[in-house]
Amino acid sequence: MATKAEFLSRREPRSVGWSLFLTLPIALWSFLMFAASLRQPNRSLQVAAIVTSVFMIVLFFMMMRTKSTYRWRRWFFVALGLLFPVGFIHNVIAMRGTMGIPIEEMIAGRTPFCFIPIPLLILPAALYKTVVFPGSILPHGGMSGGGMAAMVGIWLAVTIVVGKGWCSYACFFGGIEEGMAAVPAKAKVRKIDPRWRYGPWAVLLAMVLLSLALFEPAYCMWLCPFKAVSEYVAARNTVGMVQNGIFIVLFATLVIALPLLTKKRTQCSFFCPFGAFQSLFNKTSVFDVKIDKTRCTPCVLCQKSCPTMSLSDESIAKGETLMSCMKCGACVDVCPKDAAVWHIRGTEVAVKPERARLMFLYAAWAMAIMFGGSIIADGLATMLHVFV
Amino acid sequence: MKLSRPKLGYTAAGLTVFAAALVPFVLYGALTKGFSHLGLHVDEMYSGGPTVRAIQATGYTIDVHRQVAPHMWQHEKPFVQLDWRPVGALPSHVSESVDVDGDGKPDLRVNFDVPKNPKARLHVNVEALNPRYEPMHNVTKEKFSALIVRVDDAILVRVPVKE
Repeated sequence: MATKAEFLSRREPRSVGWSLFLTLPIALWSFLMFAASLRQPNRSLQVAAIVTSVFMIVLFFMMMRTKSTYRWRRWFFVALGLLFPVGFIHNVIAMRGTMGIPIEEMIAGRTPFCFIPIPLLILPAALYKTVVFPGSILPHGGMSGGGMAAMVGIWLAVTIVVGKGWCSYACFFGGIEEGMAAVPAKAKVRKIDPRWRYGPWAVLLAMVLLSLALFEPAYCMWLCPFKAVSEYVAARNTVGMVQNGIFIVLFATLVIALPLLTKKRTQCSFFCPFGAFQSLFNKTSVFDVKIDKTRCTPCVLCQKSCPTMSLSDESIAKGETLMSCMKCGACVDVCPKDAAVWHIRGTEVAVKPERARLMFLYAAWAMAIMFGGSIIADGLATMLHVFV
Repeated sequence: MKLSRPKLGYTAAGLTVFAAALVPFVLYGALTKGFSHLGLHVDEMYSGGPTVRAIQATGYTIDVHRQVAPHMWQHEKPFVQLDWRPVGALPSHVSESVDVDGDGKPDLRVNFDVPKNPKARLHVNVEALNPRYEPMHNVTKEKFSALIVRVDDAILVRVPVKE
């Protein structure tokens, strides 16, 4: 059985000239997206914008040259996951002096809003026209001008373009566990009960109902592991201390320990309610990943390599990925028979898969630069500002 | 004209790439504007509800908010919020009888110190002159329904209402 490294070294690279030509639109897009930062008087911002722009262009060039996606996307995604907390924590400490959200900030509607509570807010909004989150609805409201409307707008736009691909090209939390999963050479825990795949759906259902009943963003208040590296409920009383304890335990377990042991994105695979919700948009996206049954042996390398357990024996037999597939490209890169392929709905499987990959990557990388790139640049600028 | 499924697929994929190019210029702005025009409002447990009356005092104003009632299993009591603003015009100690329901009779007697340091912890004592309201003794900011906090240029007091 061919290993991943052996297979990748066998794949014929694209010529440098042709790869550069294919990278040109992304290079232009990248300069366009960072042009505003280059005009800023702040030197740290300018340097960070240039470095990020070049970083994103080089990664795309390597995707074109090597014809592989996952390992280059992972550089971007891990950088996003590691640099988001840097910029974010710096901003909250500069503005309010603490990572804890004081009750005054909640009352003032200045709690920063991330995308994870979006599915929890739908029922109260639909039934009572009420948003059960202590933030600002206005696009320029909130703590630093990023109100709920801004976050919902960017989430909707990226979802229209890449669907569940949000979890691989835009989520600013997933990179931490993907980085952790990349650390060990081999997984220590290989047997994972497939029923854990239902975990995110169970959490989603429970949190949607609890949020409606308690009229609060229940996941943010009780279960979000990423509160440990962003902001937490200011511990005003014993309940607050318990909440913060839960955040830290979940982060240490799901985002650090389990990815190191399993080489999987365990928080995304077993717990994240937003990931489950976002899976629904895999049905609306025009891009997906298919298994060409005529070529598949099946060696199950794709199943082993999938960071979110989105391939099962049954789905491979059907020539499909599960709806939790986030289009990271790991299975496509690792397949020794080129049976796992990028695909455009309506077209025949494995007919011009590279064309499907290119079209998906142009759309996904444009979103990655626009949203993730700006977060990476912000984190870099913070580091330059603080340490240089 | 009959379009084949592959043609439709490629057309949709092309349109998706085109949509991606439009995101920062058109799509993001349109979706953001659309969401903010849905007529949604932030839960009043956080926002304190709309102001219904303003009581003019010497140099400052007391805004009286509409009573906020908790939803379903929300673990807070109903409350009314009173805002003293601007903080700069307040005396160092506020001791005020407030007519909350506008019937001409005082309902609450509110006492709190106004420290010079805007980050100093506030404490409030509320005497209930109307049995509808709950008295508060040396309360700070443990609960959304019973607190005193400084938010920007106002001091907010939330007084629980008996259920």
